[in-house]
Amino acid sequence: MQRQKVIVKNRLGLHARAAARLVRLASSFQSEIELLRCDARHRVADAKSILGVLMLAATQDTELEVVARGVDEQAALSAVVALINDQFGES
Amino acid sequence: MATLAHQVQEQRLEGIGVCHGIALGAAFVVDDPGGRVVRARLPEAELDAEVARFQQAVQQAQQQVQQSRERLRSVLGEEHAYILEAHLLMLQDRSFNRQIEQFIRQNHANAEWAVRAVTNHLLAIYAEIADDYLRERGSDIEDVAHRLIRILSGTQSRDLNLLAQDAIVVADDLLPSAAIELDKNRVRGVVTNAGGWASHTSIIARSLGIPAVVGLHDITSRVRTGETIIVDGGSGTVIVHPSPETLLFYSEQRGRELQQVVCDLEERELPAITPDGYEITLRANIELLEEIDALHQYNAAGIGLYRSEFLYSMAVAGLPTEDEQYEVYRVLAETSGDEGVVIRTFDLGGDRLKLEGFKPERNPALGLRATRLMLNLEQVFRTQLRAILRAAAHGKLKIVLPLVSTLDELRAAKSIIAEVERQLRDEGVGHDEDIEIGVMVEVPAAVMLAELMAREADFFSLGTNDLIQFMLAVDRTNENVNDLFAPLHPGVLKAIKLVVEAAHKAQIPLTVCGEMAAHPAHVVVLMGLGVTDLSMRPSAIPLVKRVVRAVDMTAARGIAAHALSLTTPAEVNKYVQSQVARYWSQIFVAPSYSR
Repeated sequence: MQRQKVIVKNRLGLHARAAARLVRLASSFQSEIELLRCDARHRVADAKSILGVLMLAATQDTELEVVARGVDEQAALSAVVALINDQFGES
Repeated sequence: MATLAHQVQEQRLEGIGVCHGIALGAAFVVDDPGGRVVRARLPEAELDAEVARFQQAVQQAQQQVQQSRERLRSVLGEEHAYILEAHLLMLQDRSFNRQIEQFIRQNHANAEWAVRAVTNHLLAIYAEIADDYLRERGSDIEDVAHRLIRILSGTQSRDLNLLAQDAIVVADDLLPSAAIELDKNRVRGVVTNAGGWASHTSIIARSLGIPAVVGLHDITSRVRTGETIIVDGGSGTVIVHPSPETLLFYSEQRGRELQQVVCDLEERELPAITPDGYEITLRANIELLEEIDALHQYNAAGIGLYRSEFLYSMAVAGLPTEDEQYEVYRVLAETSGDEGVVIRTFDLGGDRLKLEGFKPERNPALGLRATRLMLNLEQVFRTQLRAILRAAAHGKLKIVLPLVSTLDELRAAKSIIAEVERQLRDEGVGHDEDIEIGVMVEVPAAVMLAELMAREADFFSLGTNDLIQFMLAVDRTNENVNDLFAPLHPGVLKAIKLVVEAAHKAQIPLTVCGEMAAHPAHVVVLMGLGVTDLSMRPSAIPLVKRVVRAVDMTAARGIAAHALSLTTPAEVNKYVQSQVARYWSQIFVAPSYSR
């Protein structure tokens, strides 16, 4: 299992367009990938589910933890973290 | 008698006409199957089949969304297709599908009920989200659920794509995806319970030229699918169960409109020159790429106003990126000919941008918006400018700045534009140098400073809609005062004269791009005040061209001069109407083409 914390920096947070990019990316890996809100650990979302990701309601400056489990967990984790750090390619 | 339950008397309903034109046809009531679904308890043995039926519906829904997305991409461009990308991902959402399948099995439920129940549960969670933007995504979930239920309940024939000819769509309000799917070849008119001038439905109906009336409150309960209905988008009147006389009257009216369209097309090639030889330039105002067809159809001299904020208001989330904007501006540049396109930079308010920490404004019209906001959000402004300057390498583009009230704003914007040009040059990115930068004159202070502004602007766009509202302190969407909205108010005429003279003196071009430019009587006055360049919705061009071809410039000048000497809006209106009335027979009666 691999895990890493990351902060959502783009202005609109994890909105639909960003969430769609994230879900598309996550779905391209075999590993299970989860997102947890660091301020409310019970709020967990399957990174491959757009409804789940949207429901995290991660606005700007929310800290998330990305957790990946599976054969390609290292690659999955770094790709997802990179996308969030890159502000979903929107900046 | 119970059989007389349904009233068949003619009823006239008044709403807000948002796209002019008359339509007659059979009502098609877009019911709301998502709201009421039949619940059935299924025997254990049928549950597998029910789950399979649900999965099949998901497949079918995905195909529909994919098709719509392709269509949307080709019609409106890549950035709008994003709405449907999110819908597609919802349909592919494992947990959503799993929850529905579980609901079917646990409750022995039919699939429609399961979709409704699971969606309601999700919507309840969304309603709790504190963030406005994210909370609004609920409407996308609702949209997806409607689609599934429509397919499951076998009413997919009600898909707007599969409408019969001559349908009048009757709905509570159209969901974004439905509004986008309106096919102007089949849909004759649109009427809705909800909505206003600026709602999705209205914007799309206008851009497609479909007669539409919104804000009718309860039209969906007053008419049934298949019944005859008349829509007069000009006056905002909707008539259900029309009497034979009414039907005859409106079909004649509509016949005249159609005849007019045919003649308009025949007159397409005629130049817009007054009988005494003055040429008037007629341009198009557009919002959507799809309207470029209309630009060519009516032979417009380029685009006098492209409202770029439309890129934002249609996008699912956030501002379009530089490349997304570039694609749209490039298409505009490549397709609008030598006259080119005037791109108005984002005319948005902070409320619509959902800015972090943005305090709601009590009066957004006078708030942080348009150029003021862009100077505050320099990064957003620079992104747009880069996209425009890059696209300008492919054709003629100009920039106009909305809501300028001081020279400081014009200077600040110009220096940012110069800086962006420099950066592009340093990066070796292809772009246009020396792009023309104009001022949208729509704030009374800009009118008073017109001479000074004209020295530093490359051109003026006179936005009469906002100027009149600001000058008269009248919100024209406010029912209490909208009768005070008077384009021919003597104060407005004096303001227009001032701006036109300032432009002439500085020898810079001036285009009028408010609704006055599309109104026959107002056009005569504008010509008389020295305006020779008008920009309007494309479908208004034929009529305005007739006005130009019928009225001598000397006569127009006489009318304007006398109008300026009058003292009240009513006097001016009465005088102008009486003067221009003698031209009406030439303008409104289609000339007969003897062959």
